[in-house]
Amino acid sequence: MAKAKSLEASMEELEGVLKELEREEISLEESFKLYNEGMKLLKSCNDMIDKVEKKLIVLEEE
Amino acid sequence: MSSTPVYSVSQINLYIKNMFARESVLNQIYIKGEVSNCKYHTSGHIYFTLKDSKGQLACVMFAGQRSGLSFRMCEGQSVVVLGNISVYERDGKYQMYAREIHLDGTGALYEKYEQLKKELEEKGYFDAAKKKPIPWYAKRIGIVTASTGAAVQDIINISTRRNPYIQLILYPAKVQGQGAALSVSRGIAALDKLGVDVIIVGRGGGSIEDLWAFNEKIVAETIYRCNTPVISAVGHETDTTIADYVADLRAPTPSAAAELAVCDIASLIEALKEYDRRLHLRMRQKVNQERAKLSQYELKLKYADPVYRIRQERQYLLETEERLKALIKQRVMKERHRLELCIERLRALSPLERLRMGYGYLERETGESLSSAESVKKGDRLRITMKDGKITAVAEKIEKGRPV
Repeated sequence: MAKAKSLEASMEELEGVLKELEREEISLEESFKLYNEGMKLLKSCNDMIDKVEKKLIVLEEE
Repeated sequence: MSSTPVYSVSQINLYIKNMFARESVLNQIYIKGEVSNCKYHTSGHIYFTLKDSKGQLACVMFAGQRSGLSFRMCEGQSVVVLGNISVYERDGKYQMYAREIHLDGTGALYEKYEQLKKELEEKGYFDAAKKKPIPWYAKRIGIVTASTGAAVQDIINISTRRNPYIQLILYPAKVQGQGAALSVSRGIAALDKLGVDVIIVGRGGGSIEDLWAFNEKIVAETIYRCNTPVISAVGHETDTTIADYVADLRAPTPSAAAELAVCDIASLIEALKEYDRRLHLRMRQKVNQERAKLSQYELKLKYADPVYRIRQERQYLLETEERLKALIKQRVMKERHRLELCIERLRALSPLERLRMGYGYLERETGESLSSAESVKKGDRLRITMKDGKITAVAEKIEKGRPV
């Protein structure tokens, strides 16, 4: 958990990957690498959204 | 009667007004009473009456002084008004011109509030640089508020509407009365220790006494020391507590705090989809771009191929040959034509042609050529050559001169 990137960091990175990918002069190989990286980030972003509806936890006073 | 001066109404009113003005006590005075007949005029002025069990006093607070009033004044409130008393000449009445109005009993509280605010401000508790950013995607949110009441319900409703997958952790705190500040403070510390992404601290609206826990030093210090970003949401938009100043973000209401703390999952998912779409699009564009480049290279390579070049050269040679041939053929034809014309002309000039046309050729029988009648004498033998034979003739008569 500590190692995992935060969602905001991942999305920021995604933005960076896209910007990089939009540059015309990058090589195809590089763009494939970026694409894969982007897809991985996207997947991790989706995974990070823990889609389980949660109940309110009420802390007990000690 | 005549010796006693007579004054007009306005003269006497002015006189009394000046009397009031000279009385320094009346120029800066605190008066305590109960509010009645309170009217907020559209112009921004507030007209009200202060009364106690034995009397009443007309008061006005002009729009320009409204900063001296921090609550909504209403009937029956016990207030302390600071201002001056003067005469309203038109009505011949004296009234109080209010500069500050405090709820009675809160004067001391207000002073405490100002004092603490100043102290903490000097300590840097409110520094913008110290404010922690609120993460825009919080998974766990801690709430410190009363377990009953509208505030917690508002936060739960708005949070789960924006993101049903959010984990809310409530620390049920005592938010007013004895021990409230300690309870709120403990709640913040407990949630900070537990580990949440954001803490919302707050309660619904109430009187300044009701909100007082959020003006206590212990709460301010706990918020200041808290490692987790804190959003304060105390009372209504118009109530600003010390906790609001120390918090990393101040929300006007508990509902607003939930809006600020909880990311709207629908738009987040939408944003991710958009990323997905853009990523695919870019990749496809890139591949197409490379493909186009490749076909360009292919074309260039084709042109550079020696076989292609030889073929091209050969083609050129063939074409040149064709052109050369055509040119020479044309030239030959032209010459032939000219030749034919010459032949035609030559034929027209040939003596044989004359013969063919019925003329004869005259010479002496000896074969000597003859070109004039003068050299012929009577009796000379002449030979005429015609197209189909020869005739030998004798000159009979010679006539000189031009033929007819």
